[in-house]
Amino acid sequence: MAAINKGASGKGDKTTRNLVVGMILLVVVAGAGAALASNHAVKSASKPSAVEASDGDGIGFNPNAPVKVDFYEDFQCPHCRDFEAVNNGYITKVITDGKIHAVFHPMSFIGNESVVMAAASACASDQGKFLQMRAALFANQAANENSGIWSNAKLIVLGHSLGIASTKYDECINNGQYLNWTKNVEDYAGKANINSTPTVLINGKPIAQNTYLNATAFQAAFAAAGVK
Amino acid sequence: MKKLFNPTIQPWMTLFARLILGGVLLAAGWIKAMKPSEAAASVRVYEVLPVNIANTFGYILPWVEIGIALLLIVGIWSRWTSVAAGSLMLLFVIAIAQAWVRKLPINCGCFGNGGITADGKVHSWTYATEIIRDIGLILLSIFITYFPGGKFALDTVNQNHENGGKDDGSD
Repeated sequence: MAAINKGASGKGDKTTRNLVVGMILLVVVAGAGAALASNHAVKSASKPSAVEASDGDGIGFNPNAPVKVDFYEDFQCPHCRDFEAVNNGYITKVITDGKIHAVFHPMSFIGNESVVMAAASACASDQGKFLQMRAALFANQAANENSGIWSNAKLIVLGHSLGIASTKYDECINNGQYLNWTKNVEDYAGKANINSTPTVLINGKPIAQNTYLNATAFQAAFAAAGVK
Repeated sequence: MKKLFNPTIQPWMTLFARLILGGVLLAAGWIKAMKPSEAAASVRVYEVLPVNIANTFGYILPWVEIGIALLLIVGIWSRWTSVAAGSLMLLFVIAIAQAWVRKLPINCGCFGNGGITADGKVHSWTYATEIIRDIGLILLSIFITYFPGGKFALDTVNQNHENGGKDDGSD
């Protein structure tokens, strides 16, 4: 550097400078281009059977129930884990009792590990174990983001521990069958202006911020919408 | 401005300012570039731009920040890159201030970025510290704009100025 500084008006300086400018420009254009190219829905993505295309490819339950509830969560999000710990019993109950039309949108904004976890939940959905897998993924959330603990082998073991026996599940994980589907979910959440997780919408309206970790208030919000 | 700073110290001060401003911008840009959908969300939360424009902006902005930061650090076109960096910071201050006034939750649940936290309450101090930090960075950018170049700057034009140890007279 010092040597370059001495030759103030030399030709070499300009060449070095232009080279550096060129490299920086390349980084910016390539990075921005890749970000724009990779962050949108993939039309050809393979989708789990429970998907509701009209609801941003979310995983749906009881499509004919009168009260619709959307759940936007990231399996790596600690607030979502806390929300799950407080309310999962109730959520599972109203879904299995057929009282709500639930649509789950497993987001992946926290990173790669979220993508593989969301894709695995979709694989479990095809085996009728989405709710169990969702609970298990939150219960086993890693202390650090994107720590890489969720290898395919580990996701398969987790699935089996929930009673999944089909080899189709193993293949689904190993082939990364639903990795592209997670982009559709993320893209839809972005367009739906979902800016925080967890976000729960009852009939399209977000519930109050202070109800997420308060079981009584959370259930009251459902009751107000007619869930009994 | 000529007599304001000792001519042997000023280039070092400019270098220092370039490294701080560039370093902060590079780190901020890199963190966001690694999480594009979170970056898009953190533009959406200010509720200034329409959703699809906010998303596109969120994907591109981190890379623009990285570009400006690298140019500042190596010292190319430092007068103009510091104007650009300062303008970005000013934009952030305006965005945060309007979110503060409108009591928008700019930090909900898992998306970090100050303001209102998961409990849904307004934390004025969080908005304030973000604004104070950005204003500090704006002051650094103004310093570089007045005294561009500095030590170890790659830019030929500014090197003349630096080697002379004087202001280049254009301001």
